[in-house]
Amino acid sequence: MAEFLQATGVAKTFGGLSAVAGVDLSVDEGDIHCLIGPNGAGKSTFFKLIVGTYAPSAGTIAFRGENITGMPSSARVRRGMSIKMQTPSVFRELPVRQNIQIALQHHVAKTDLPKEEERLLALMELSADADKLAGTLAHGQQQWLEIGMALALKPKLLLLDEPTAGMSTEETFRTGELIKSLNAEGMTVLVVEHDMAFIRQVATRVTVLHFGKVFARGSIGEIISDPRVAEIYLGKTHAA
Amino acid sequence: MLAEIFSFLYQFADVFAFLILASAGLAIVFGMMGVINMAHGEFIMCGAYVTVGLVKAGFPLVLAQALATLAAALIGVIVELVIVRKLYKRPLDSLLATWGLSLIVTQGMLLIFGGSMSGPGTPEGSFSVGDYTFSVYRLVLFAAALGVLAFIYIVFMRTKFGVYARATMQNAPIAQALGVKVGRIYALSFGIGAGLAGLCGALYAPTMTLIPTMGATFIVESFVTVVVGGANVLLGTTPAGVLLAIIRSGLNAWGGQIIGQIGMLVAVILIIRVLPEGISSYVARWLAAMEKAKS
Amino acid sequence: MLVYPAFADSYSVGNTAYLLAWVFMALGLCLLWGYAGMLSFGQTFFFGIGGYGYGVLALNFGGGGMTFVALILALALAALAAVILGYFMIWGRIGGVFFGIVTLSATLVLAFFLGQTAGPEWKIGNARLNGFNGMKGMDPLTLPWFGGSQVYFEGTYLYYLIVALLVIVYLLLRMLVNSRFGNVIVAIREDPQRAELLGYDVRKYQLVTFVIGSVLAGMSGAVYCSWGQFIAPSSIGLPAAAMPIVWVAFSGRSDLTAVLVGAYFILYFFQMITVQSQQAALVLMGAMMLGTVMIAPQGFFVGITRWIGGVLARRKAAQAKG
Repeated sequence: MAEFLQATGVAKTFGGLSAVAGVDLSVDEGDIHCLIGPNGAGKSTFFKLIVGTYAPSAGTIAFRGENITGMPSSARVRRGMSIKMQTPSVFRELPVRQNIQIALQHHVAKTDLPKEEERLLALMELSADADKLAGTLAHGQQQWLEIGMALALKPKLLLLDEPTAGMSTEETFRTGELIKSLNAEGMTVLVVEHDMAFIRQVATRVTVLHFGKVFARGSIGEIISDPRVAEIYLGKTHAA
Repeated sequence: MLAEIFSFLYQFADVFAFLILASAGLAIVFGMMGVINMAHGEFIMCGAYVTVGLVKAGFPLVLAQALATLAAALIGVIVELVIVRKLYKRPLDSLLATWGLSLIVTQGMLLIFGGSMSGPGTPEGSFSVGDYTFSVYRLVLFAAALGVLAFIYIVFMRTKFGVYARATMQNAPIAQALGVKVGRIYALSFGIGAGLAGLCGALYAPTMTLIPTMGATFIVESFVTVVVGGANVLLGTTPAGVLLAIIRSGLNAWGGQIIGQIGMLVAVILIIRVLPEGISSYVARWLAAMEKAKS
Repeated sequence: MLVYPAFADSYSVGNTAYLLAWVFMALGLCLLWGYAGMLSFGQTFFFGIGGYGYGVLALNFGGGGMTFVALILALALAALAAVILGYFMIWGRIGGVFFGIVTLSATLVLAFFLGQTAGPEWKIGNARLNGFNGMKGMDPLTLPWFGGSQVYFEGTYLYYLIVALLVIVYLLLRMLVNSRFGNVIVAIREDPQRAELLGYDVRKYQLVTFVIGSVLAGMSGAVYCSWGQFIAPSSIGLPAAAMPIVWVAFSGRSDLTAVLVGAYFILYFFQMITVQSQQAALVLMGAMMLGTVMIAPQGFFVGITRWIGGVLARRKAAQAKG
């Protein structure tokens, strides 16, 4: 069977600078796969290569058995992936409700739209703020709105780039539970995070990126007990 | 045969000079501040009018041209302080504001000074190669275009102002935090851009009839050169000028001026499809790759 | 609006029709710029293609019902030009300020080209282009009527035709901006990358929008040409190219209704001043453009509407309290 998501030798250089230097990574269907690594390890760039914001300098990306390397982002999204970016990127000047509508409308029938809209607003706990401009929401709420928009696409693969940045411990925990429940319904999740407690809470598999390359991979237990990882990543956390 | 080759080179040099002189000021302002100055043509017009006015008042041509350049630069600084400064976060609005200014100036000039005004006439002097006769002044214009590029190179690569200006171009907030007076750099850059536009008008004033709307003669050429060149004058505008001058002078020779202009526009539209970020980013990437290969 | 011709003299009716003819291109620019965030300086480029297209075709087809064929083909020509130009710009990722200056360059080159077609060799079939002096003598829009008679759309008839077209265009645009399509182009204006990541092929939406906005400019051109049986390059080049921008910017680009009303009033006052001095009118236009940007970037008509809305809302709230 073809891999769910398979990156082979994916590289990206900016000018002469190498951000991602030949990553081989496969994500199995049904996993919550965490991508970790120190700042500048190339995690966000790698995400942007998967969704097609950047074109890779080398390598191929396959999604559900299809080579998507040269496709525009919109075509990849329609094939069943969606992303929440690192910095909240919602339509700030538009109301929350319209944000959700825009995400929902191209695959939800007109008659079902209001119902779906309310369901998502409730799920993201934004019903009370539905008519506010998205830019006026608190940072954590914007993160939730963006996750809601990503979910509106009913993706098979959900990419989350630091979903809990700027959230309180309690909000972070609830985000983790939400991700687990989505996963239980069959959604595969690939997530970039720094928060180790969060990773312990959700991850079924972990890959460590370092200097643009895959440094280690395994279950959360294996990664935590790997002394080399502790040195480059956890060690740094402890020191900080 | 030799005469034909020289003739083509001469045509090329003529078009190249026109493109560079018309676009250098626009390119500096765009490269530094991301602003397209729609009143660029009016700074050219200003340079031309001041030159002719001073020549009629008895000034020697070269001195008149130098003073006209300074006058345009000074007005540029004022325009930056009064209008453009407030719009740096809204590039589209700066486009509209300068366009509004351009309308006010051209139509206001038409109201006050009326229609056309004759220039002082192209300075005499010609030479022959084979059966062809060439104007010396056209070669002076070519030399001036090279001079402008050298001036830009020296100012931006070899002076303290240039260091600050390039830092500001890269990242204005950080430059500000490091003590660069960003506002002053912007005003000066706009002044240099306007001054170069004025110089363009001053240099072409002897070759054409002056009308308040003469900026329109230059503006298509300056736009397309900047669009093809991208944000960097030295790495973008110059190669863009060479490329477009080859296309333009070839088409001019083949089908006349209007075919040359239409052909150039079509070429530009094809080029932007292939090089969306302009030549300068392509050249910069190529230079970076060379650098890397060396190390 | 419908009974207006009943109590106005025929000159005023004709003149109103003339002013309304320009409003199509203002609405097109409002869609492009206000809703989709694409600031095109090429409205008069398509105005020229629509106008010259209608003129050349009408001169060649002869009059009668064929004038409507000429109108439709002229609009198709404008659409084709918009597809080609739009494709290269949008697929070449030309955005922001460059979108403006590339469209303006195309506009100016078209005006230069038409300006030097004075010679007798510049003719297409029966149509002499006639350089700066402009092309003339084409039939106005004409409808063959029962019993072999014909209805020329001049004067009052043309007024009704233009009003009808304008109402249809306005309502269709309203429906468009309130539709899913409208939602998407607004999203693209706000953040094209985000819209792309929600699965929308941004380039296709932008191209379709560009074609609609540009065809409306072509419609202005064709209707204008039919109205005056004349078109010249001066309606294309500078300063004409700035006019739609002024109407839309001053009125308030984010609202179709504000542009509909605002553009008409600006045209009306502009004409009053032009009678005295064209230069003075254009200086005023420049000042309006500059003033809008510096004082009310969202536009004056929209500003006034919102202000009135705000006052009313406050009064209502006060009454509810009292």
